[in-house]
Amino acid sequence: MTGARTGSLIAGSLVVVCVAILATDYALAPRQPFAARPAAEQKKVTDARLARKTRDGVVAWGLIAAAAAFLMFAKGVVRQEKPSAPGDRRQAKAPGPPRRAPAATPPELDLTFVDHLVAKIGRGKEAAIPLLQAIQTHYRYLPDDALHRICELTEITPAEIAGTSSFYGQFRRSPVGEHIVRVCHGTACHVSGARQISEELRRYLAIPDGEDTDAARMFTLDEVACLGCCSLAPVLMVDGHTAGKLTPATACDALKVTA
Amino acid sequence: MKRGAVEIRIGLGSCGVASGGEAVRDALVRAGATVKTVGCNGMCYREPLVEVVDADGRVATYGNVTPEMARSIVRRHIRAGWRWQAEAPAPPKRRIVLENCGIIDPLNIDDYLARDGYRALAKGLSPDEVIAAITESGLRGRGGAGFPTGRKWALARAQPGAIKYVICNGDEGDPGAFMDRLVLESDPHRVLEGLAIAAYAIGAAEGYLYIRAEYPLAVRHTRAAIRQATGRGLLGRLHLEVREGAGAFVCGEETALIQSLEGKRGVPKLRPPYPVERGFRGQPTLINNVETLASVPWIIRHGAGAFAALGTKSSRGTKVFALAGKVNRGGLIEVPMGITIREVVEGIGGGIRNGRRFKAVQLGGPSGGCIPARLADTPIDYDALAETGAIMGSGGLVVLDDRDCMVDIARFFLKFTQAESCGKCTFCRIGTKRMLEILERLCEGKGRPDDLEKLETLADYVGRASLCGLGQTAPNPVLTTLRYFRDEYEAHLHERRCPAGRCPALIRYRVTANCIGCTLCAQACPVGAIAYRPYEKHEVDDQLCTRCDMCRRACQDDAIEVL
Repeated sequence: MTGARTGSLIAGSLVVVCVAILATDYALAPRQPFAARPAAEQKKVTDARLARKTRDGVVAWGLIAAAAAFLMFAKGVVRQEKPSAPGDRRQAKAPGPPRRAPAATPPELDLTFVDHLVAKIGRGKEAAIPLLQAIQTHYRYLPDDALHRICELTEITPAEIAGTSSFYGQFRRSPVGEHIVRVCHGTACHVSGARQISEELRRYLAIPDGEDTDAARMFTLDEVACLGCCSLAPVLMVDGHTAGKLTPATACDALKVTA
Repeated sequence: MKRGAVEIRIGLGSCGVASGGEAVRDALVRAGATVKTVGCNGMCYREPLVEVVDADGRVATYGNVTPEMARSIVRRHIRAGWRWQAEAPAPPKRRIVLENCGIIDPLNIDDYLARDGYRALAKGLSPDEVIAAITESGLRGRGGAGFPTGRKWALARAQPGAIKYVICNGDEGDPGAFMDRLVLESDPHRVLEGLAIAAYAIGAAEGYLYIRAEYPLAVRHTRAAIRQATGRGLLGRLHLEVREGAGAFVCGEETALIQSLEGKRGVPKLRPPYPVERGFRGQPTLINNVETLASVPWIIRHGAGAFAALGTKSSRGTKVFALAGKVNRGGLIEVPMGITIREVVEGIGGGIRNGRRFKAVQLGGPSGGCIPARLADTPIDYDALAETGAIMGSGGLVVLDDRDCMVDIARFFLKFTQAESCGKCTFCRIGTKRMLEILERLCEGKGRPDDLEKLETLADYVGRASLCGLGQTAPNPVLTTLRYFRDEYEAHLHERRCPAGRCPALIRYRVTANCIGCTLCAQACPVGAIAYRPYEKHEVDDQLCTRCDMCRRACQDDAIEVL
């Protein structure tokens, strides 16, 4: 903490000194028009000009280095201080992932959970997936506001969050119904009639094509790659509860465990 | 317990729970028995399983137990000492990876310690001796590619640098494979011990277990095991952590897995540099599959020779297979390498369900291929399988019968790889999409004359021009089915017909003369395609029919046929 602070002070004063030298040189540089002079005088003027030029070159490089060091130290200082007052980082500067269904997002989302989470899991880039997983477990999908908050609080950029959250099959960007029904479409389930199970559930819940949640927002239907219960195929999972050896009729019954 | 038993075990792995195992356990407990909760012993088809061990060490296995049966077991077997004769004990099998599965309580480290747990770690071999033993055992990576494990470890050890990582790859994305889940759920300490030995051998102080989030029980058990082992100081200074995968098949590839651990999108990177040279956080990283690591403690305890004595010349030891599909006895099996496919399907698997004909096995998931029944005498080892065009893969073995359409199977796998392609390589991203379109066309009876040639050309391009294993092997299901079942492709293409009666667009349901007019099918039909006319022969309205197969399942008289 103090290291970063003193560092930034030293680098800052260096910047000021360099700028001062350059400005003085610029101001004091003789600006008389070109005129014929005796050779000796001409040589003196030329030497002075060359010396100034070399000095200014060195000082300019020093200025660049000092500025870079200042920025780095200052970033460290800001980062350490920021978590206590995270809200004031410019919201507009973090555009975040594209909003897909703004109307469906609940108007007021309690984001204190995200704050606690970041404090617990960490702020590095490696924390991205654990953070997203925890958010999804808590809110049951990834609300845009929560993702914005993550970008504000951690080193993860909005682009990275958008990339990661859209890459992995586990993450959902839109709200889900009360219960999630995962119908396994692994190989064993496929050959044992997973298609019929999914179709029958769609019909039973009256979920229109292209959507995954029924009108009452009770059930969200999700087709997953494999639940790892292949010898009980076909299988589905309602919330945490797995049901196996299904037929289209028993699949609908399996939803009743939630009632 | 009193007379009949010294131990009562109930299998509560994911499959046991899914079959209602918790109700059975509650019934046992309520009936007064002291029950030990164990993982799964592999006999998934008989879940929920209750095993009663008597004082002589004999095990009586009860399968498909209901709560009523559980009460009866307590009353008659345990209290009265009466033994169920019909339940023959399972024949003795050589088990290495599954040694403790279904026997120990995965949440109790003492159970594992009592069965020689952590003895291999405490054996006091030098790192070089460990690597020599693994090399000599001939153990090859069980994740699919079959890279010699000993050589990988030696490479990782030879790397300069003080910081190294070990990673256990438990991102079992293959649809149809569940051995990693079962091992982590039933015997997590074995994997930790293997990982600790690997870390010791290469000199790593930090390790990660990357486990699919779809396996919540495996994650929970592994976390508990790490806590216990660390608490007892068994892992020394090794720090282990579980990271949950987020559902991307491609993360089973090691460079993609590392990207994912670093919080990025799981996109594979060009190798070299291999992860053993520059991997996680830019440091040398050793990545091994769950099953590979689970074999390690056994090898160290029993010696490399005992392991190498099993199996064939190029493939040593045993391999765990997830047997599923149209087979009578599905579950997890551990067999010595070199056993034939027929022995697995007909012997261990008990043949095909419902007396149908054995058509093919699908081996190795989306990277593997279909081996037809006529090649069922192929021995299971890395090289013999590669010759057929399939691969060992992680060991998913799905049995197909004569009602499975091979074009549909190829379409299924391509749909999977297409969806899971990370999008980095053009050929994988677009090539698989075009291949999928062709297969979908074929399944809908809209194939074009040159489609089969085009499929072959595209398969060749995708296989050769992709960076990682996902793309390179994505065409395998198509190529093997084209090679062995070309007649089915041609029937779809030229005759617009699905010989197996599977593809919805190419089949029709018809009521035959067997119909007795019982109206069961009319009641079952969800779309009203069968009119409710008692005592008359029913008719299926082809326009309304959605090919959901409900009527055929409902019919008691076999009066509905698929055309």
